[in-house]
Amino acid sequence: MMDFRIEQWRAWAPGLDSTQAWQAWAQAPHIVPDNLEQPTCAFLPAMQRRRLSRLARITMEVAWPLCGEDEQLPFVFASRHGETPCTFALLADVAQEQPLSPTKFGLSVHNAIAGQWSILRGQRGESVAIAGEADTFEHAMLEGAMLLAEGAPAVVVVIAEEQPAAAYAGWIDDVPFSYALALRLGKIDPSIESPADTSWRLELGPHGGDGTPGTWPHALNFLRALHTQEPSLEHAALEHASLEHVWKTRRWNWQRTR
Amino acid sequence: MEPAALEQPALEQEIAQLIIDTLNLEDLAATDIPVDQPLFGEGLGLDSVDALELALALQKRYGIRIESNAKHASQHFATIASLAAYVEVQRTACAS
Repeated sequence: MMDFRIEQWRAWAPGLDSTQAWQAWAQAPHIVPDNLEQPTCAFLPAMQRRRLSRLARITMEVAWPLCGEDEQLPFVFASRHGETPCTFALLADVAQEQPLSPTKFGLSVHNAIAGQWSILRGQRGESVAIAGEADTFEHAMLEGAMLLAEGAPAVVVVIAEEQPAAAYAGWIDDVPFSYALALRLGKIDPSIESPADTSWRLELGPHGGDGTPGTWPHALNFLRALHTQEPSLEHAALEHASLEHVWKTRRWNWQRTR
Repeated sequence: MEPAALEQPALEQEIAQLIIDTLNLEDLAATDIPVDQPLFGEGLGLDSVDALELALALQKRYGIRIESNAKHASQHFATIASLAAYVEVQRTACAS
């Protein structure tokens, strides 16, 4: 069982780059067309942007404002599939016996984006890069909660997925479009009055049977919950602010506590 | 005043564009890089990974071979002008 506050969050998907756009999406979720759009990341000089892949840009775009210039915060990068378009392009070069791009090859590891975050933001603390199954999102939150328990003042958690290369269509069925969600997690502290925050309890229990996977990836589903459960709701409504994500033998229960 | 940048010969212009495209230098146009501006360190600000990437792109584009331990490599890669001269020589050598 884990308790934490969500102090700030930010999400991106093609065409969904504002609070209003996500609000509308949360109320009427649908598959948005993914035409390889990518955020501009204008906060970075061009020379620093040149080695950021699409997924790296998407990650920077959502995570950037969640960490202050003078803060050192642990960083959790989570992605079930990672950069399949880059992997596929490298494999195609191998198959055609073409030399590999040193830059692409050097960055073709799962923790490359966490490394770029560290370099670009001057972050010298812990970073974690994980890949799990359909509940990668919950495992990322578990990492974040453990870092908080270790004493971190706050943790930046990002889950990012990129629309896979067409060749993977038969295997990857849980990335309806490229998206990323960044959350800034903090400890529950009753002495802090921060009405904009929401507090959540995440609990893992056993799950028997297969169950059907949800329509939306867990992170997007949670994003809907963040939008539809406004803090202005009455206490009675808050009690219903919960959601459940099941995967294989795991049942993740999300309960909003404030 | 950078008169060299005003009239880039074709090969220089081509190499400048190759650098921009290969290294993903979004905000630059070929004419923005003076042919005698240092590419590495002070100047354009490229680094050693860029050098590897650029060597690969030059080999692919011009069908030349650049040995990784080639003598004077850093001199050849110093500016667009020196790269153009190097490509010209190598192209002739490889063609014969």
